[in-house]
Amino acid sequence: MTTLRFRDKVLPATGGLVMAIVNRTPDSFFDRGATFGLAAALDRVDEVVGQGAHIVDIGGVKAAPGDEVPVAEEVRRVVEVVEAVRDRHPRVVLSVDTFVPEVADAACAAGADLVNDAWGAPFARTAEVAAQHGAGLVCTHAGGLAPRSRPHRVAYDDVVGHVVTTLTGLADRALSAGVARESILIDPGHDFGKNSRQSLQVTARTEELVATGWPVLMALSRKDFVGEVLDLPPDDRLEGTLAATAVTAWLGARVFRCHDVTATLRVLAVVDALQGRRDLAVGKRGLA
Amino acid sequence: MLTAAALVPTPPLLVPEVAGGSAGRDDDLRDACDAALAVLLASGAERLVVLAAAEVTGPVDGTWDWRGFGVASPARPAAARLPLGLAIGSWLLDRAGDRRPRTAFGVAPADAARAGARLVAGAPTGLLVCGDGSARRDEKAPGHLDPRAGPFDERCGSALASGDPGEVLRLDADLGRALLSTGVPAWWALAGAAGAACTAELTYTAAPYGVGYVVGTWLPRPD
Repeated sequence: MTTLRFRDKVLPATGGLVMAIVNRTPDSFFDRGATFGLAAALDRVDEVVGQGAHIVDIGGVKAAPGDEVPVAEEVRRVVEVVEAVRDRHPRVVLSVDTFVPEVADAACAAGADLVNDAWGAPFARTAEVAAQHGAGLVCTHAGGLAPRSRPHRVAYDDVVGHVVTTLTGLADRALSAGVARESILIDPGHDFGKNSRQSLQVTARTEELVATGWPVLMALSRKDFVGEVLDLPPDDRLEGTLAATAVTAWLGARVFRCHDVTATLRVLAVVDALQGRRDLAVGKRGLA
Repeated sequence: MLTAAALVPTPPLLVPEVAGGSAGRDDDLRDACDAALAVLLASGAERLVVLAAAEVTGPVDGTWDWRGFGVASPARPAAARLPLGLAIGSWLLDRAGDRRPRTAFGVAPADAARAGARLVAGAPTGLLVCGDGSARRDEKAPGHLDPRAGPFDERCGSALASGDPGEVLRLDADLGRALLSTGVPAWWALAGAAGAACTAELTYTAAPYGVGYVVGTWLPRPD
């Protein structure tokens, strides 16, 4: 496993890492505005950092279609949090979830370490922005869909092949734009430009993503592909999310973007122990 | 000569193996399609044409195949994969057990009405007309809500229910494209094939997933 570095923050070289979701949005699908207010967002950051999140991912616009958010408003939502958190938690990796280069630029200027370009790089300039700030970049597969749009009858000859080709291309591009090799992550983009069967295929074939050599980020948390397996709404998708987390961690994915930090960390700890990367926290049973 | 036309929508979830455990929730839609096909198949057609909007116009070789949507299908004969609308129509005919000579035919707005007329110029021919209304009918729709989508689908529904080719040819293909509708080119081809007013019946018009679905039949009126 490779070391990850985002600006001056180096993350552990082995084992699963957690990226906690903090939505500065009034309308995201799971929290539905719970952390839209600045104080609530900062409380949430304190909470997830306290729980042990390695990365905090701050977003100002919900992923699904909805009200247009002007760039200035997205900048305001994100930068307020980044500025406040930078002082309170100087060692945590701060990520900004945006597909807009201007927002990435403002957030990095305020202290963000990583740009989570979650819509498949609709603006090539985002990679240059990340590079100029010495920040990292998440390269995501969204199947060529426009940002904030839903898949409609999308078909692939080979969805995993499409994901691998797209992501290695984006990662190589980021590298040539000047983003450091150890600061680039690839994300297959579950649900983005994919129906649930296609997301399941990508999940089951995580090894093919890992084999690219780029560290893999999995954004699985409470998504529709879990919900459609179980016919359950977002509130009831934790166990399904954790199952996919365990399997993809076992197969070599490194970073897990999630709503449920403690639960995800516990799953990753057990996977790490199973694979010999982590010792027992307590070794007493049968040993006294 | 046109013997009859059946109109069906083209959602992949119409196919039970694509829909999985929720397939039964759309049995009413599937039943309506089967009933419309029954009218078509009993109309005395010697040959059938499956019509749908497609990037490739004219006859299209190939077969239906749902692997592109992530279904682990058993291996099928090595053949090209039909575009979705033509695939759904061909699948419905296979499901009905029809063995007549059959052509899958892609249409585009520029030539749809003339193509429709040419397709029925010879032997008694039945048309399976595959297309959908807007995919922007509500906030959960694939294309989210566009306030023009409801009125557009209503206009399509009333034109198709009228059996009047002139009404159908007045549908706005550009607006349809903007609203993620695939229906207008195929419906124009139907209008061209009909030539004169038909007896039309729509048996299903609804948008259970934010996409407008229409099922029905057109039967030429006796001279």
